[in-house]
Amino acid sequence: MARSALERYGGFPFLSRLVMAFYDKVLDSDDLAPYFEDIDMRRLIDHQTKFVAFLMGGPASYTNDHLAHVHARLKINRADFDVMVETMRETLADFEVAPADISGIVHELQVRAPWVISASDSKDEPVPA
Amino acid sequence: MDLDRFNRLLLESAGVGFALADPESLAIRFSNPRFAEWFPDSREPVARLDALLEGLDVDRMRARLDADQGYRTELQLKVNRRQITLDIDIKRHSGDDADLLVVECQNITKLKELEYMVESYSKMVERQNRDLRKEKERVEKLLLNIMPRTIYEEWKEFGVTAPQRFDSAAVLMLDFVSSTEMDIASDPPALVAELNDIFTSFDRIVEQFGGERLKTIGDAYMAVCGVPEPGADDARNIARIALRIVRYLERRNAAQTTQWICRVGINAGPVVGSIIGVQKYVYDIFGPGVGLAARMEALSGPMEITMPQDLYERIRDDVIVSERGAIEIKGFGSKQVYTLEGMTDLDDRHLH
Repeated sequence: MARSALERYGGFPFLSRLVMAFYDKVLDSDDLAPYFEDIDMRRLIDHQTKFVAFLMGGPASYTNDHLAHVHARLKINRADFDVMVETMRETLADFEVAPADISGIVHELQVRAPWVISASDSKDEPVPA
Repeated sequence: MDLDRFNRLLLESAGVGFALADPESLAIRFSNPRFAEWFPDSREPVARLDALLEGLDVDRMRARLDADQGYRTELQLKVNRRQITLDIDIKRHSGDDADLLVVECQNITKLKELEYMVESYSKMVERQNRDLRKEKERVEKLLLNIMPRTIYEEWKEFGVTAPQRFDSAAVLMLDFVSSTEMDIASDPPALVAELNDIFTSFDRIVEQFGGERLKTIGDAYMAVCGVPEPGADDARNIARIALRIVRYLERRNAAQTTQWICRVGINAGPVVGSIIGVQKYVYDIFGPGVGLAARMEALSGPMEITMPQDLYERIRDDVIVSERGAIEIKGFGSKQVYTLEGMTDLDDRHLH
């Protein structure tokens, strides 16, 4: 069986540094940080750890329904989702992940957009039912 | 640079938050810039430690400090949108010059984040392990369906199994008389359902006497006693199994419209047992012990059980038979052949 990206880059020690850096970038971003202001740090880290592990073929699994469920409350719009994808791309590049793997991981992220995005681009508009 | 200036600089630039408070009133007497950054109110003239450190257990702190012990706690607060965790260490400093509480705060957010991450990851891994264990059990169950446990254990440990010779395995071969011409043959799902039901019952009987069902081919059924663990009672057990299988079918036929008429051959003789195949595993046995059982089956009439002399000689005290005389058997020469009617045990005496 082919080894997952997570295994190839060193498993948990790699994942922890990556998630930590990603988490810092997200919370330093003016676009993204407001989403997480009221989210408990423990929950946010739990989710990010599992989700990034999942994107890299690690030992977690997310169904689309589950993704929709955990993101519904955040009301994320397309523009901010794109910022998040870019932040992930940057973080992976910072950690010298090979371009092919970055494309793979970013692709995994992008195909999940429909389940993560739950608001239109203007944050003031009501969410379409 | 003199020492005082050095100390002051250190206090001002340190990453550690540092404050001094009155032990009685808890009023803040001094706070360094880092402390003030985390607790901006500490620079207010009325600032008190218990008001700044939300959730501080003052009674517990006093109890520990009175016992000359330090007090340590963790505190979460929000600084510039970021939730941070501080490790707070409070000690009492009583000297000639002053009596003060010394408060040290360290930012342990990264440690906490890592702790949560480890927790999250280990839960993931535990869950994965649980899933793998379940999957392994499922695979094991499947493999145990196609090979005896001892063979499976050997295969699991060494990756291969050596073919094994059994000098006297007791073999049963059964098939159904003209089942292809039965009415039910035109309704495959019904046929399979009935066969499934019948073979499942056979399996239970075989298991009850310590045997193994080796395989079914179409409507043929093959079971063995003494493979891979030879036992003293294998020959008698194969006879008991054969009788019970016939009795089961007789009862079933009395209650159902479809009549299943079998022929059974039993024998005890040398066989070789081995896992066959690389991609698809089958545990099977070969050899004259099997061949003769098949010949015996072919000699059986409807609902009859046939055995050769060698087997009869070994269990003659326990079985009731009728003699069929000497019959020329292809590949085995002329042999005395017997039809098994029952066992001398009370339980099996009145078979028919």
